[in-house]
Amino acid sequence: MLPFEVVFRAGEPVYEQVMYAVKRAVATGQLAAGSRFPAVRALSQELRINPNTAHKIVAALTAEGVLLVHPGIGTVVAHPAAGSVEDRAALLNEELERLVVEARRLGLDEEKVTAAVRRHWRKFPKTP
Amino acid sequence: MNAIECDNLSRSFGSVRAVRELTFTVSTGSFFALLGPNGAGKTTLLKTLRNLIRPSGGRATVLGRDSTRLDACDFRRIGYVADGQDMPDWMTVGQLNAYCRPLYPTWDRDLEGRLMTVFDLPADRPLRKLSRGMAMKAALITNLAFRPELMILDEPFSGLDPLVRDDFIQGLLELPGDDRPRTVVVSSHDIDEVERLADDVGFLADGRLLVHEPADALRGRFRTVEIVGPGLAGPSPGGPPAAWLEVGRPAENVMRLVHGAFTPASEAELGASFPGCRVTARAMSLREIFLVLARRHQTASVEEAA
Repeated sequence: MLPFEVVFRAGEPVYEQVMYAVKRAVATGQLAAGSRFPAVRALSQELRINPNTAHKIVAALTAEGVLLVHPGIGTVVAHPAAGSVEDRAALLNEELERLVVEARRLGLDEEKVTAAVRRHWRKFPKTP
Repeated sequence: MNAIECDNLSRSFGSVRAVRELTFTVSTGSFFALLGPNGAGKTTLLKTLRNLIRPSGGRATVLGRDSTRLDACDFRRIGYVADGQDMPDWMTVGQLNAYCRPLYPTWDRDLEGRLMTVFDLPADRPLRKLSRGMAMKAALITNLAFRPELMILDEPFSGLDPLVRDDFIQGLLELPGDDRPRTVVVSSHDIDEVERLADDVGFLADGRLLVHEPADALRGRFRTVEIVGPGLAGPSPGGPPAAWLEVGRPAENVMRLVHGAFTPASEAELGASFPGCRVTARAMSLREIFLVLARRHQTASVEEAA
């Protein structure tokens, strides 16, 4: 059993769906910092996905600092990114722009978007 | 390094050209899904790769050897499971395993045992008394247990219930070892069965490979695009761009099309070409993409024949 769930949707790259599921599980605290992350083989077999894709996912999550590899021990979930808040905020710039573009396209105003963001924000546990 | 290289490979049966001048490669360690409707030439192609059929033209190189020269020694490195393949059906499942074991120096007893458990196969039952799904699983065990470098599967999932299919996929995922890469070639007429497994997909129709590229690239370049607005003009003078497929006008102010060469910049470009209109692009599943490709091929064949 994997410590997180992926509900696959047709038409979207498997890679992106799993990446998102892991990041979401980390954000909700379901995957706690320091906990063990499944090996490539287990990931591939449990999710019934191509081993090459599973390998790519673990490598990308490691490169992004979501996971840490301890040689001889295994892969664990990293503590939230080090560095300044500004550095981390910069990581979200692109996603935020996408959100704004999409919201404008749908004809939403600033109030509605921030209210929606707030609503989603509160679904996750408080950060220290 | 390529596990398979086909160069102008052809095979005819009388006047029927089952496989026509195929040139393509399958790289070592990849999972290649060969898709196409029934009668497209998938089985002929796979049988040629296993030297069950000789090419009428061109050649295929499999694990570095000409396909027509593949012998018992090479077959220790190549697994082959086909829908409805011949089995010594008087043997029990256990006898079949025992019979195959000494034929392969690389036979992995642990894996054999694990697969017997996962597949829930009764060792003492004769093959002729197995259901179709169980027989396929028995055949898969004898081909997985020697950890082939190349696994060729011809329509392995057809007619299997979802549970058996899932077991089957789990078995396949046991294949990659830590020592060397394993290449898997699977043919199917149903894309959903392999969508999460395939690195690369090929689409075969009438013996020709219409598409052969990474699954992610294919998903990346296809979009259903909808353009809605009052300012939609009539058909453009030069006709629609070549990458636009199935262009339709379901309503006066709506245009819908399948974009076959979509890039991140395309949405903005479309927006600029249709001022005052709303442009929405939606990703497509491989199934939808293949339906589009199959329909386009059908139309082209009809036009060619006319």
